[in-house]
Amino acid sequence: MSTSIVPIAIREWAAMLRTPSGWIVIALYLLLSGIAVAVSIQPGLPASLRQFFGASHLILLVVAPAIAMRLMSEEFRAGTIEPLMAAPISDWSIILGKYLGGVLFLLTLLAPTLVYVALLEWLSAPDYGPILAGYLGLTLLGMLYIAVGLLISSLTRSTVVALLGTLFALMLIELAAGQGSAHVADPYDRILMALSVRTRLADFAKGVIDTAHIAFFLLTSAWFICLATVATETRRWR
Amino acid sequence: MLRLDQIHKNYGAVRAVRGISLEVPRGQIVGILGPNGAGKTTTVRMIAGTLPPSRGTVAVDGFDTLAQTRQARQRIGYLPEGTPLYPEMRVASYLRYRTKLFGLPRGVQRTATERAIERCWLTEMRTRRIGTLSKGYKQRVGLASALLHSPPLLILDEPTSGLDPAQIAQTRKLMRELAGDHTMLVISHILPEVERACDRIVIISAGTIRADGSPADLIRHAAGSGTVLAVCKANPDTLAQIPGLNIKKTNKMDDGWTAFECEGESVPAETLRERIGAACAAQGTAIRELRTVGGSLEEVYIGLIEQSNRDDAEGAP
Repeated sequence: MSTSIVPIAIREWAAMLRTPSGWIVIALYLLLSGIAVAVSIQPGLPASLRQFFGASHLILLVVAPAIAMRLMSEEFRAGTIEPLMAAPISDWSIILGKYLGGVLFLLTLLAPTLVYVALLEWLSAPDYGPILAGYLGLTLLGMLYIAVGLLISSLTRSTVVALLGTLFALMLIELAAGQGSAHVADPYDRILMALSVRTRLADFAKGVIDTAHIAFFLLTSAWFICLATVATETRRWR
Repeated sequence: MLRLDQIHKNYGAVRAVRGISLEVPRGQIVGILGPNGAGKTTTVRMIAGTLPPSRGTVAVDGFDTLAQTRQARQRIGYLPEGTPLYPEMRVASYLRYRTKLFGLPRGVQRTATERAIERCWLTEMRTRRIGTLSKGYKQRVGLASALLHSPPLLILDEPTSGLDPAQIAQTRKLMRELAGDHTMLVISHILPEVERACDRIVIISAGTIRADGSPADLIRHAAGSGTVLAVCKANPDTLAQIPGLNIKKTNKMDDGWTAFECEGESVPAETLRERIGAACAAQGTAIRELRTVGGSLEEVYIGLIEQSNRDDAEGAP
C-alpha cells in the first residue's frame, strides 16, 4: 500500500473542515437527523434509533454528494491536480486517498450523532445491537454514496456539476430499485431490487448484520473507486 | 540528464507537439521560448510525467517517464504554470505534505521543509495560510515545493508570470542561486529574462524546435546575416569600395549626415561594422551611429516565429 494515501486522505479531510461548506454540511446533517430523533423519542415507544437511520438514508442522498463533489473536480478546477500528478505516486493512490478523506469526513459527520445514543441511554435502556448494526449500515451506505460521487467528481472540473450529477445518479439508482422494479418483468425486477439500498439498510436498522449486505456495499464502492481511477487515468491521455 | 526522443502529442486531430528531440546535459539552464499555443507547456508536461506522449520517449537521468514513472518523477521538481496550491493550507504544512508525497523518510521531512523555507525566503510566512499570501510569495512556495526533494532537474513554467518588477528580481535571484546545483528548464515568453538567466535557448513554434543554441550564438547567427546601419558623413563611393559590402538604401539627412543601410555579401555583420569604421577613420569622416539591425534575441525570436507561421500556412512541417 502506498504511503502517500494517508497524507492525501488527511489533507482532504482537513481541507473539508477548513471550508465553510464542510461545516454547513455537518450542521445541515445534524439539524435534519436531530429532528428525526426528536420526533421518534416519544413516551411509550421503544428506545431505538430506527427513525434516525431511516431519515439518515434520505439525508445522505444530499449530504454525500456535497462531501464528494470537491474530491477531484476541485483539483481539476484549481489546477492542483498538476503537482499532484507530478509526484511519484500512482493515480490509484490519489483516488484512494481522496476517497478515504471523504469517508473520514463522513465519520466526523456521524460522530456527534452518538449524542443521540447517550440520550437514549439516559432516557431508557436501549438495545445496542440494532444501534451498532444501524451505524455500520449507515457508514457502508455513506461509503457507497461517496464512491459514486468520487466517480462523478473525477469526470468534471465543476463542483456544481459533480454535486448535481451525483444527486441525480443516486436518485436514479434509488428510483430504479424502488419504482422501476415494479414495472419490469422477471428477472429484471430481481436485478433492480438487488440494487436497492433501502431494504439492506432496513435490515441493518433491525439489527441484522448480513454479510451479503456488507459485501454488496463494499464491492459496489470498490467498483466505483476503480471507475474513478480509470477516469483519472484516461484524463492524463486526453 | 534529460533526453527527449522524437516526442509527439496529439489532441484528436490537433498535433500540439510534432517530433521534438532534445538533450540537456547536467547543470545546464535551458530556456524554452515560444508563442502561446506553441507546445511549450505540453512538452513540459510530458517531461514532468503528467501527460504521456502520443509517440516518442522522455528519459530523466536515464529513467523513462512512462516505464519507470516513479524513479523519473523522483528526479523532477516541477513548478507548473500559475503555481497551483491549496489556499487553505499553511506554508509549512503544505511543504511537509509534499515531502510525504515524495516519500521522504520521516526524519528527513522536517529538515527538507526547513531547508526549502529558508532557501526561498519564506521563514516569516511559514505559519501563514497560502490563500492569504501575495502572488510573489505563492510563487516562492511553489518553488520551495519543487525543491523539497533536491531533484536534479527543475522545471519552472512561467516562473515570473504575473509578478511585479521587485518580485521578478527576487525570483530571478533565486533562480541564479539554484543554477549551480540543478539542471533547469525555464519556460517563459519574457525574452530578456531567458536571455539573462539561461545558458541555452530552445525556441518552439507550432510544436517543433525552430532554434536551439546559446543566446549569444542565436544572436550572432541572426546578426551575421543582418543589416548594418551606419550614420556618417562619408561619401557613398567610399563605402561602396569596402569589400563584401552592399549598400541597400541611402538616406540623406538635412543636417549633412547620411544613413546607409548595408548588407554583407558572405561577410558577417560584425566584420562589416569594423570595415565601415576603418574606412571612415581613414578618410577622417565622422560616424554618429554604427550598429547591426536584427541583432537582438527579440528580433531572432520574431523572425523565427514569422518563418514558422509562413511554413505552417504553406503546409510545411
